[in-house]
This record gives sequence, structure tokens and C-alpha cells, in this order.
Amino acid sequence: MLSTITSGAVYGVHSHLIQVEVDVSQGLPCFQIVGLPGSEVREARERVKVALKNVGVRLPPMCININLSPADLPKNGTMFDLPVAVGILISLGKLKQEMVRDMLLLGELGLSGELKPVRGVLPIVREAAARGIKRCLLPAQNAGEGALIEELLSVGAGDVSEAVAYLSGEKQIPPAKSLPAGVCTGEECGEEGPDFADINGQQGLKRAAEVAAAGFHNLLVIGAPGSGKTMLARRIPSILPPLSREESLEVSTIYSICGRLQPGEPLKRTRPFLHPHHTVTDRAMAGGGRIPMPGVISLAHRGVLFLDELPEFKRETLDILRQPLEDRQVQIARSSGSYVYPADFMLVGAMNPCPCGYYPDRERCRCTPYEVKRYLNRVSGPVLDRMDICVEALPVAFSDITALRQEESSSRIRGRVMAARKRQERRFAGTGLHFNADMGVGEVERFCALGGEQLRYMERMFSCMQLTARAYHRILKVARTIADLEGSERIEEIHLAEAICYRQSDRKYWV
Amino acid sequence: MNEEEKAYIHWLCQAAGTGNRSFLRSLEAFGTPRELYRLTVRGGLSGKLSGRCKEKAARMEQFTKGYDVAESYERMVKRGIRLVTQKEEAYPKRLLKISDKPYVLYYAGSLPAEGKKAVALVGARECTAYGRYMAAQFGTALARAGVQLVSGMARGIDCVGQESAMKEGGYSVGVLGCGADICYPRENRELYEALLERGGVCSEYPPGVAPRAVFFPPRNRIISGLSDAVLVIEARVKSGTLITVDMALEQGREVYALPGRVTDPLSCGCNRLIRQGAGLLASPEEFLEEFLGEYQGREKCVQTELIFLEGIRGELFSLLDFTPLPIQELQRRYEEKYQKAIALPLLFKEVLELCADGHAGQVAGNYFVKIIKT
Repeated sequence: MLSTITSGAVYGVHSHLIQVEVDVSQGLPCFQIVGLPGSEVREARERVKVALKNVGVRLPPMCININLSPADLPKNGTMFDLPVAVGILISLGKLKQEMVRDMLLLGELGLSGELKPVRGVLPIVREAAARGIKRCLLPAQNAGEGALIEELLSVGAGDVSEAVAYLSGEKQIPPAKSLPAGVCTGEECGEEGPDFADINGQQGLKRAAEVAAAGFHNLLVIGAPGSGKTMLARRIPSILPPLSREESLEVSTIYSICGRLQPGEPLKRTRPFLHPHHTVTDRAMAGGGRIPMPGVISLAHRGVLFLDELPEFKRETLDILRQPLEDRQVQIARSSGSYVYPADFMLVGAMNPCPCGYYPDRERCRCTPYEVKRYLNRVSGPVLDRMDICVEALPVAFSDITALRQEESSSRIRGRVMAARKRQERRFAGTGLHFNADMGVGEVERFCALGGEQLRYMERMFSCMQLTARAYHRILKVARTIADLEGSERIEEIHLAEAICYRQSDRKYWV
Repeated sequence: MNEEEKAYIHWLCQAAGTGNRSFLRSLEAFGTPRELYRLTVRGGLSGKLSGRCKEKAARMEQFTKGYDVAESYERMVKRGIRLVTQKEEAYPKRLLKISDKPYVLYYAGSLPAEGKKAVALVGARECTAYGRYMAAQFGTALARAGVQLVSGMARGIDCVGQESAMKEGGYSVGVLGCGADICYPRENRELYEALLERGGVCSEYPPGVAPRAVFFPPRNRIISGLSDAVLVIEARVKSGTLITVDMALEQGREVYALPGRVTDPLSCGCNRLIRQGAGLLASPEEFLEEFLGEYQGREKCVQTELIFLEGIRGELFSLLDFTPLPIQELQRRYEEKYQKAIALPLLFKEVLELCADGHAGQVAGNYFVKIIKT
């Protein structure tokens, strides 16, 4: 008898529904799976056989054929165990086909029959909801993740016998509770973790971080060892606006595909902060593999990618960032297909100013200008070009460590950042842009128009400070953000001056 | 001495290699360079020597195979490089008097004139804004007073001093630690060209010899040897500049040093020299008066315009320093001195104005330094 179960698989960040067709008929005893199964899918046979035996269902010596349709898509992952088991039970007449109508099934089986969590539940359930599926049966630990999609009911089962009992109508399982809509736009989320109030002194650095967060500008922090570069970077997510529900789902999808969602926290509510070591490989950075997986830059989507000791990274690894920084996504082409992962992150780089780390402190640094220049040149030029804001972290003075001054908390800074974001949203309504940092040359001319006085000011600065055309546009973008922070519609001289000081002098950084 | 003899000397300098002054002396026993050349071509030189000299002689024989004496000398002359030997009239008289004088001196442009005073202006490569400023002042003043300036064309003080002397239309010679045809360091190309045109470049090493760290200390003896006095602008306690000073003292040259703050490591060497009895450089005028004796230029050689700036800008200018200050430090000093708060954006704007007007410079990101216009 033939039975059909709806399941799904992930391709990139998108997913397809897969029909698991099971046929059990008379003939030489066999058990085979067709439809381009990967090795973990093929191994479902053994798991299903033993799991069913251990819950008291002995497979008769019959010919079992399973087809995963559409048959031309390669299938990977362990989520087909449960659909295969249920399909066999229906074909054997132990369950009814109509019980699984409009239902999505996913789950990995243990030999004891327990249901184990699988990766990629969120994108698959989302796809299923779009295709009109009404219910889904998931491993208990994934039920919360499935419940994020409010259009369908998500039911979690602990083992295969519970699933069978549910499907036969013997047992009622209440659907997992969906998180109320808008829960993550509240002030209470993302509050835990490091806070800006922990940083003593470093006013200039904090100000630059605030400007960077407000316009989603990439930030380069240069400073001596131990000056708090890493400490600052870790706190940047705390001043970025909280994730909207849509963004939250995007981020959770990526983490779901990687199997990095915690069972207790199906929805990522805080902005990711990724901090790869400089030995990170190209593939880990961009994503990829035989069965492509999102890389570090995608895991940092909507969050902060922090690269400490920038010159220590291999040039090739940094060059990988060029396309994602431009397109806000990364395209990975492999023999098995081409995948697109989102990668819209804020790049924060930290580096020492010179090999010894103390330039321009002439008392401690004895690096020659040539050595300093060579050190800076180790960082890929195109990546440096995308750093809108460049700022120094100063060595911390003892008086700063012991100062009893009340430092500003992250939530206060975040308040100002969010006000600036609101202005940007209004300005860019209908243009497809989100932040000032996204502006191209054309948009800069449109949205950062200067008044006559300001234009004369920039003209003077252009020649006096030896600016370049590229630096000029970058300065205008940053000045726009500073004006947004001040709540000013016009860009004034004072905004321009601060932006000029944040430029990185076009690689003539050092005298 | 005719050109042919010089060609053989050039061959000898190249064949014997660099840093072989004692070896060269021992070769004098074999007669003139021409006779030595014949001996070498025949392969009879290494047979007459023993030990390490034998090895060196064998290398000379190897080098000489396929070497065209006349052609390679002509090639050098065509490129504008001359050589002068100790026996010639053109060999600098000041240099003749020092012990361990160079066997020959290669030069391009001209060598310092005998009748005029010559002064060496030396200092650290990694100098401060203060050092740069003072080097420029002295370079300009010396050029105006018609004093010839000798230096090493190195980064930092050397280069700044020579550049300002050339700008003032004075004469300057750069003593190199490589062949006179090589511009080292490369970024001083402009200065090098100017020296070829209106000054001179000289070296004891044959053209084509690349710079090596070991060449620089011996070249310092030529710097002091070519001059009547040595002025030290900035120097660490252990530095190449102080090697020049040691050489100068050995050669009986007068040494002057520019005082600096005791907290500044780049002034420590200078301050120590003053304590040991070096002349104190208070100003270019005072030095010139003492050094030239009859110098009557009572009025200031270098006019610095007095700067009166109003408002915050003036206050900030007084806070700036010759050592680069980060913007936050500037903010702290401002609030401490004037007892009023100043926001970073306003500070950025005002400092940038100072930069645009040339009263301040932006060094390494948000570090600012005072600049006094000359």
C-alpha cells in the first residue's frame, strides 16, 4: 500500500517541501530509499528499523520502497527519519493516511525510539505555512521553534510511540505556545550582557561607537594593546536597536540551519556578536562545504562582526568580505548548487597602530615610518576603504580606572541611536535603503546635500586637509549620521568637522 | 693624476670590496694600482699573500675576470659620478686631517668649498615635531649666513635640515652609506635631486653598492670630518647620532647640542652632551655669532610670526604641544585649565580650523600637534 508524508529540506536559507512516498508490497524482502538521498538519509533505514522494533512494531519481510520527491533534489539531514517511520506504519495499515493530511513531519530517531532535534526547522516550517500546511509534528525540543510561525500549529513529541499515539488520535498533545508578536521589540530584550557603563573614560571612542551604531557604519578602532578595543566592540550590540520581529526571524533562520538555536530560546532576540580568531579559514568565514552551511559572516547577519588584530588575518580571508560588504549577502556556488546567504553585518575592526603597538607615543614606540606603513598595508586596501569611521583607543590612565564618575549606560546611548534610526527610516522610505552607511554616491548627492556655507567650508577643508573624492563621500555619509544624532535636518559645519576627524586619511594615516 | 690612473683606482675599490681599509693598505706593497691590476690579471696576487688576505685576493682575481677597466670608469663618469683620491688637490682638506680618512671619495655634484665654513646638522630619524621645527630653523639660518651644511640625508632631522637649506638657496652635501648613485632612503628623492643640482652627494663606497647597516657608522666619520662643527638637534642616549659626535670629538670638531625637555627621550642624548661640555644651541643667531665671530647679523635670521588667536581657538592653540596629543587629552587639559566643559564635536571643529589655517597638524588619526609657521 502506498502512503505519502510531507516533509522538507533546506537549501541555502530557503527550503523545499519534500514528499516522502512509501510503498510496502509483497516481494523479496528489501528496504531502499531513492531520490538522491545523502548518506545520513540512507542510514535512516537502520535507525527506523531498530526504533520501530524497540517500540514494539516488527517490520514484516516485505519489499519496502521509499521515494523522496522531487527526486532530482539532493537530500541531506536526519529530518526524514520520522516521516519514513510514519509512512511505513501507514502503509502497513497501522495508521490512517488522512491523519497526516496537511501536516509536516520532521525528526531524527534514536534507536530507543526517542525523537531528537534537527536543524533547519524554522525555514522549513515557514515554507510549509506558505504552502498551506496546517499542522506540524516535530521533536519536542524543536516545537518552540516551529511555533514561531503563527500560521500553523506546532506539536512536539518526545518519542515515536507518542507520535503514533497522537496520529492515531489516542493522545492529545497541546500545540506549543507561540511567542506573542512583537515580544522582541520591547525594551526588555537584549538588556543582559556587557554594558557601556563598564568602560571608564574613552569618551572619544564611545562617541565614535555611537555614531557608527546610529548609521550602521563600519568602524576601525586603532589603539595600543590593552586600551579596551575588544571591550568596546563587545558592547556595540548593546547600543544597536533591538531586532524587529522580522529581523529576529531572519537571524533565527540562519542559526536554525546551523543547528545553533538553543532549545530554551527558539528565537534569537539579541543581535549576534561574532568574534572569529584570525586563523579562521576562508570557508568558515564565507560559508560553504560539500553541503553548504552559513559562515561566520552570515551568523553575524544583523549584528556585529568583530575582527580583532586585523593585520593578522590573511589577506585572502579579508578579501572575502569585499562582496558581502557591498551586496549585504554572500553567494556560494558549489557543484551541488548555488546558495545565497544573507550577510548584512556591521564590521568592527581593531588593530595596533604599528608592530609594537604604541605609535605615535615616541617614548615607547621606535618603529620607523616605513615599518608603520608596512604594518598598515597588511590590511587589504578595499576592506580598509569600507571603514567609514576610524578612531583611536588611548592607553587607559590610572585616574580613568579609579574614577567614580558615573558612566553613561548602554540603554541611554541606545535611546539616541534609535532616534537617529527613526530619522533614517523616514528619509529612506521607499528607496530600499536602511541606513546612512548603505548610501551610494548618487544617494549621497541626493540625501546629503550641503548648504552654500557648508559647501564653502568643505571646499576649504578639501584643499587644506588634502581630502580625496572617496574620503569626501565617506565624510558626507558620516556627517549625515552625526546630524541625525543631533536631530538636525541640515548638515552643519560642526557635523562635517567631526566626520573629517573620523576619516582615515586615505592610507596616509601616518606621517 | 690622470684619468687612466683613476680608472685603476676605481677598479681597485670595486675589486677589494667594501670595509677593507687595512687590506687596501697591505696591497700598497705591490706598487701602483695599475701594477696591481696586471698582477691580478695574471693570477699572481693570491700566491703572494697568506691567510684571509689570500682569500680576498682570490676573490679579487675572480672579480677581475672579464672586467674592463676603462669602460667601467667611463660609464661611471658618464653618470655624473667622480672620484677623488687623497693625493689630489680636490680632496677635502678637512678630511685629510682626520685619522682613518677614506681612501677615495666618490661624489656627484660638488664637494664643500674650502674657504667657507661647513657645519654638520645631525639628529634622530624618528624625531619629534619640535626637532623638525628646530632643524628647519637652523637649516634656513645656516644657509642664509652662507655656511655649508653637511648631513647624512637620512629620514628625520638630516632630511629636514638639508631640505630647508636647499630651499633657502644654500649649499649642502649629503654623505651616504651606499653608492653615491643610490638615493637612500627612497622617499628623499626630491632632496637627492636638489643636492645633485645645487649641492653634492658623496660616499666612500663605489657606485652601485647597496646600503647596509654596517656602512652607516663609518660614514658618520666623514660627516664630522667634512665639517668644522657638529650640531646635534635630537638624539637618544644610544643612537647613531652620538657615534657622529664621538667621531667629531676624536677629530677635534666643536660639538653643539640643542637642549630639550628632560622627559623627552629624544632630547636625553642632547642634554647629556651639554652636561659633558657641548655648546648649547639657544638660537641660530647666537650660534652663528659664536661660531663665525665676525657675524654681525644681530637681527633675527628667522622671523616667526607672532600668533594671536581669539576665543577657543587661541585657548586650544596654547594647549597644543610639539608632541602629538590625542583629542581626549586636549579635552581634559582644556577643562582643567579653563574650568569649563567643551563637547567633543565642538573641539573637533575648532582643532580642525587650526589645522586648516596651518597652526596645527593632524597626526595619526585624532592626534594633533602644534605647528609654528616659518
